[in-house]
Amino acid sequence: MFSHNRRKLLQASGALVATGALSATTPAQAAAPRVVVIGGGFAGATVAKYVRMWNPAIQVSLVEPNPGHVSCILSNLVMTGAVGMSTITLRYDNLRSKYGVNIVADRAVSIDPVSRVVLTANGSRLPYDKLVLAPGIDFDSIPGLDSAVLPHAWQAGPQTLALKAQLDSVPAGGTFVMSIPKAPYRCPPGPYERACLLADSLLRRRRAGRVIVLDANSDVVAEPHTFHTAFQTTYAGVIDYRPNSEVLSVDWAGKKVVTNWESVPFDAANIIPPQRAGKLVAAAGLLGSDPATRWAPVNPLSYESRVVPNVHVIGDSQGTGQPKSGHMANAQAKVCADALVRYFAGEQPDPAPMTSSACYSPITATTASWLTVVFGYDAASGLMKPVANTLAEAPAPTAGHYKDMFGWAKNLFADSFS
Amino acid sequence: MKTYRKTLTGALALALLGAASAYAAPPAGRLLAAQCAQCHGTNGQAVSGMEKLAGESEREIYNELIEMKAKLKPDEIMHRQAAGYTDAQIRLIARYYASLGKTGSTGSRGSSSTSRKSRDD
Ligand SMILES: Cc1cc2nc3c(=O)[nH]c(=O)nc-3n(C[C@H](O)[C@H](O)[C@H](O)COP(=O)(O)OP(=O)(O)OC[C@H]3O[C@@H](n4cnc5c(N)ncnc54)[C@H](O)[C@@H]3O)c2cc1C
Repeated sequence: MFSHNRRKLLQASGALVATGALSATTPAQAAAPRVVVIGGGFAGATVAKYVRMWNPAIQVSLVEPNPGHVSCILSNLVMTGAVGMSTITLRYDNLRSKYGVNIVADRAVSIDPVSRVVLTANGSRLPYDKLVLAPGIDFDSIPGLDSAVLPHAWQAGPQTLALKAQLDSVPAGGTFVMSIPKAPYRCPPGPYERACLLADSLLRRRRAGRVIVLDANSDVVAEPHTFHTAFQTTYAGVIDYRPNSEVLSVDWAGKKVVTNWESVPFDAANIIPPQRAGKLVAAAGLLGSDPATRWAPVNPLSYESRVVPNVHVIGDSQGTGQPKSGHMANAQAKVCADALVRYFAGEQPDPAPMTSSACYSPITATTASWLTVVFGYDAASGLMKPVANTLAEAPAPTAGHYKDMFGWAKNLFADSFS
Repeated sequence: MKTYRKTLTGALALALLGAASAYAAPPAGRLLAAQCAQCHGTNGQAVSGMEKLAGESEREIYNELIEMKAKLKPDEIMHRQAAGYTDAQIRLIARYYASLGKTGSTGSRGSSSTSRKSRDD
């Protein structure tokens, strides 16, 4: 079988040997390099689409167990009831029908980087020339916390609905406790946005409740002006913000969260644990030998792993220090797609890639703020760095930004998934 | 490892000679321009609420971005985006979108993005 020949070819270190092996195969076979993508979130869907769009001679398989991706973006609005699950559920049909991506409805369980094969839960073996890992995030465990009971809702889907149920269960005058892990975590402004919407919901439902925000960080991580104003003014008396508060354990039966300072009773809660790269990243050895490494070290010109060749990591799992957002995951996916297209053309990656991030955060039921930044490659350090004058938050939340949020999300969803 | 990868690239490229045209280097500006697509749509074909870029003239796009960069209005997210790019990069982006024409066709399946409707429509 050709795949066998190709694997041999790819293991061969001499061009002569390699060309020899190849000449035994037909040109049609030789002309179909294989890219396997693991994870169909913003990063994985985008890279699969763009590789096919930019060079349909490359075969792309996308491994993802779910029939569609449920977006975290706008998911806090599902919690409040402002939008339904259908708005944030993104299917893979267009990737298949419009771009010819081979959708493999399965979970990747291991990678053999020497033979270049991905093994799946159903026992499939998927050979690759280039592998792209985009499995999102994984969570640290917290003693006493069962996220099936007390949702993090930091991956959307059933967790989002469980969080909505928590909010709906708050009794009049009750206390909702939410916690924020140490940065870096997925979506820097996300937890503060959620705190605002929890408070707004309690106010609108006339529950006269409180939202206690336990932040493991020493201050608001993103959009400090927006969120300090919201906490101190818009939601004065409702949001009780407590910095430097790290959740050490949860007492579910006694309904208490224990931090490094105190024990905080709750009626309903949302504990967001500390985060790291998706499980498969560690399992594949992509974090290297230092157990403190949480995110995959990669070369930002191509997102190829610094540890295992021919494996690329994009989106929240990678560790370039760029913010973990869906917008950014999409941006990195394009840099990676371009590098893969060039690689199969015998070219080096673009030497000066750019990426950017944008997040719209609802602050009330009718207003939103935004946060943005542009990153450029810095050749001297080999790092992606924020470009001067591009990191900014909206001066104030407005109804106009709230409207723009939906236009932005629709376009981002379409650019990634259809 | 570097040499190994180079050799490999060379070998693959050689092997792919038959289909050489399918593996040409990407057109200038395409990757930069793709960074606008999160908001302005794949190949500049926005699906809703945002300006379409495909087929606008090079001068139009270039001048607009250069002006945004110079003004930096605090309430305009797009001005911050414009500030991220050098004049030369903006030139490449503008030229690329102008080259697409109104239908925004590019690459092999470019026409695929023209009739797209968002699922929420
Ligand atoms: C409340 C909230 C609000 C947010 N708001 C914004 C916002 O306004 N703007 C913004 O840009 N970002 C926002 N984000 C962040 C954004 O959701 C993430 O940064 C983005 O989802 C990261 O994309 P990803 O592809 O890396 O991971 P994910 O989107 O998590 O996708 C990972 C995919 O991989 C799959 N997968 C995992 N393991 C395997 C395996 N072994 N085999 C096969 N498949 C696997 C999963 O099923 C999943 O579909 C928000 C996040 C939250 C939680």
